Amino acid sequence: MNSMVQTINLTKKFGDFTANNKINLHVKEQEIKCIVGENGAGKSTLMNMLYGLLQPTDGKIIIRGREVTMKSPLDAIANGIGMVHQHFKLVPSLTVYENILLGLEIKKKKGSLSLPLIDKEAEIKCVEKLIRDHGFELNPTDKVEDISVGARQRVEILKMLYRNVNILILDEPTAVLTPQEVDQLIHTLKKLKEQGKTIIVITHKLREVMELADSITVIKQGSIVGDVLKAETSERQLAQMMVGRDVVLRVENLRKKSADTKVLYETRELTTVNETGKEVVSDISFKLHQGEILGIAGVEGNGQSELVKLLTGLMCSTKGNTWLMGKDITNWWPNQLREAGIGIIPEDRYAQGLCKEMSISENCIAGYHGQEDICRYGLHRTKKMKEKRDRFIQEFDIRLGDPNGMVGNLSGGNAQKVIIARELSAAPQILIACQPTRGVDIGSIEFIHKAILKFKEAGNAVILVSSELSEIMSLSDRVIVMYKGRISGEILPEKTSVEEVGLLMAGITPTEE
Amino acid sequence: MKQKEMIVKNILNSLVPILAAFILGGIIILAIGENPFTTYGILIRKSLFTWKGFLNTLHYATPLILTGLAIAVTFKANVYNMGVEGQMLLGGFFAGVAGAYLPLSTPLVGKLICFVIAALCGMLFALPPALLKARYQVNEMVVTLMLNYAVAKTLEFLTTGVFRDKSAGYVATPVISDTIMFQRIGSSRITAFFGMALIILFLMYILMNHSKLGFEMKAIGKNAEFAEATGMNVGKKIIILMLLSGALSGIAGAGWMMSDQFKYTLSFSENPGLGWDGMLISLLGSHSPIEILIASIFYAALKTGSDSINMYTSVPKEIVEIIQAIIILFLAVKFIKEKTGRKNRWKQSRKEAE
Repeated sequence: MNSMVQTINLTKKFGDFTANNKINLHVKEQEIKCIVGENGAGKSTLMNMLYGLLQPTDGKIIIRGREVTMKSPLDAIANGIGMVHQHFKLVPSLTVYENILLGLEIKKKKGSLSLPLIDKEAEIKCVEKLIRDHGFELNPTDKVEDISVGARQRVEILKMLYRNVNILILDEPTAVLTPQEVDQLIHTLKKLKEQGKTIIVITHKLREVMELADSITVIKQGSIVGDVLKAETSERQLAQMMVGRDVVLRVENLRKKSADTKVLYETRELTTVNETGKEVVSDISFKLHQGEILGIAGVEGNGQSELVKLLTGLMCSTKGNTWLMGKDITNWWPNQLREAGIGIIPEDRYAQGLCKEMSISENCIAGYHGQEDICRYGLHRTKKMKEKRDRFIQEFDIRLGDPNGMVGNLSGGNAQKVIIARELSAAPQILIACQPTRGVDIGSIEFIHKAILKFKEAGNAVILVSSELSEIMSLSDRVIVMYKGRISGEILPEKTSVEEVGLLMAGITPTEE
Repeated sequence: MKQKEMIVKNILNSLVPILAAFILGGIIILAIGENPFTTYGILIRKSLFTWKGFLNTLHYATPLILTGLAIAVTFKANVYNMGVEGQMLLGGFFAGVAGAYLPLSTPLVGKLICFVIAALCGMLFALPPALLKARYQVNEMVVTLMLNYAVAKTLEFLTTGVFRDKSAGYVATPVISDTIMFQRIGSSRITAFFGMALIILFLMYILMNHSKLGFEMKAIGKNAEFAEATGMNVGKKIIILMLLSGALSGIAGAGWMMSDQFKYTLSFSENPGLGWDGMLISLLGSHSPIEILIASIFYAALKTGSDSINMYTSVPKEIVEIIQAIIILFLAVKFIKEKTGRKNRWKQSRKEAE
């Protein structure tokens, strides 16, 4: 087979930081190439260069044996390269066909004269044909805001196919999908391959790689560390290549029967609306027992973020109540919640958890900056702040260059450790942890998981919200699944298969036997 | 390492506009037919290197230190109190009225009463925009900016009517009583007001760098969402900061009244106004107290030096205004860069993180 995409010594530097170092990538025609690596390994940088979003500092890109320079995605599309981004770039209020033809509208014609009017019918027909040709399940006249995430992804793929691309790049395509939708996507991609397309998929989920790929390239810290065929490798070997050492993929978790211990935290019929007045959290009731981790699973965008905001005082409920050890704490402010003994690990590390442009010691006290040990008569005690910071650095193994520097200079994992150190050292009884390991390297993930389990075993309780299903399943004692703002089911992770959870995540409640 | 780089960058950021302004000003001086080096030499020597000139410079710097601080406390929290000029006028006016009409017999208590009245006036001006911003997200920039003109016109009405000194040959309020005037020290214009401003500056330095409120101010300014998530009542803090800013502006006005003007005239804060100059100074000093002190002294030096230029060369003193205007222009560029730069940096860091 011929080579489709080739890069020779491709290098990209951001200032002093080398994101990609002499990458020699080789993608054959009509194959599915998976590019795997940890977060921050440089996968996206590489793809952004192939798609013309970034310009390489050094090296060459060769497509079908011809060297090309791409200044923008327009050039990339002209060269037959299309990309489906992790966060879809669609207009929610427009229909499927309007989104697909955006920018390439079909004009009404009168004779040979083209009028400045859009020919709707021709557009719908054209898109219908496209959908049929590729065997997709889509209705061209549906509005994008009404269709599922999986369907939106198919719209993105069609958008690229309509532009006649032969090489399709997908950036983390499964991050937002339910397990069933993932299966469907894999099926779709294999079919596209049979139709002669070359597909490059970026991911860090090894199970999917094994199902999907023909060949796999592993990137670590900006360099290629492995280039293997799927038939010749295993999940374990790939994981080893990604991190350079053996990883315990599962943490040891001593699950307990928690129903008989004391209830620490309870919510009843919590409901709220978003800015546009749409109900996003509906009638959420659950009890949290001592010594328990309650997982909240669900496909992103089904109300988990809003629920966390409700529980952490960033949103107000329109109905329902929350109790902490019998005390009504509904709609308390975040500082009141922290004082009452609730630790909060927010969803977005750099928006709510940390301030990038403030120093590490300042971030170490945020949220607790009014407490007596560091604040006296309204003045902060710099020495105590530094002591606290140094204690955190040591106890939580935070790796940094300059302890007086800004938090923004830390890597994702170490920045997350700052939050965890801050919240756990205040000795709360409840921890609300939202996406505690998102975008964090495997070493830190292990550390964070252990810290959460240790916290639970000390007789406290945790609410864990994560889009990483494996994390929820391995850590939680009990899991509730959310779909469209409601609880669609409650399960015990030891007794439930991933498929069952997937069904609940898609809003399908299994009938009782 | 990183911190040192930052400091050097900050200093350069402030020095480059000044240097550029002096170079452009120099070209204009050349065109007039004078030697720019001798002109600048006179400017600097007379304002900074003679004892009397230096003390005069400090005198003119005094209200600017306070208005600069008033700007800094809000700008640092990403809140924009553009009403410093109006607040300062209001404070100055009512301190003047109180000083002229109230029977204030002891100098210390009398001054204190005037300062308190002025601070309250400044806060009164700042309160409505602060409440509107905190409660209803009304843009505080627009409200405070517009209120300036309302205040200036109201004070003009009061000066020409109700409180006019009939014996004066021009529009002015009565002169304040001697007891509450700040006495000049030696032959220069400097008064104890400068010392007072330094004390306030020191307090503000502590407040901005080592206090809980300063920490919250910084957090709100850098990342409001973070501030809220860590339990700061952002609305309440905005009100507090606006009131603080208003009080500082009012005090600046009262001090200027009692140490220099002694009566309210329509040109009380001259052109473009102590409040507007304060904004420039705060930007020049990157909203940090120590740098604000340096910037206000520099700015006042231009003012004292300009009279000497007029006296010793054929260059008109307006050259200083040209230099000031060019500084503003270059600072505006920095201001824009500051804003867009942050966005780009954010984008880049996001890309790197992915």
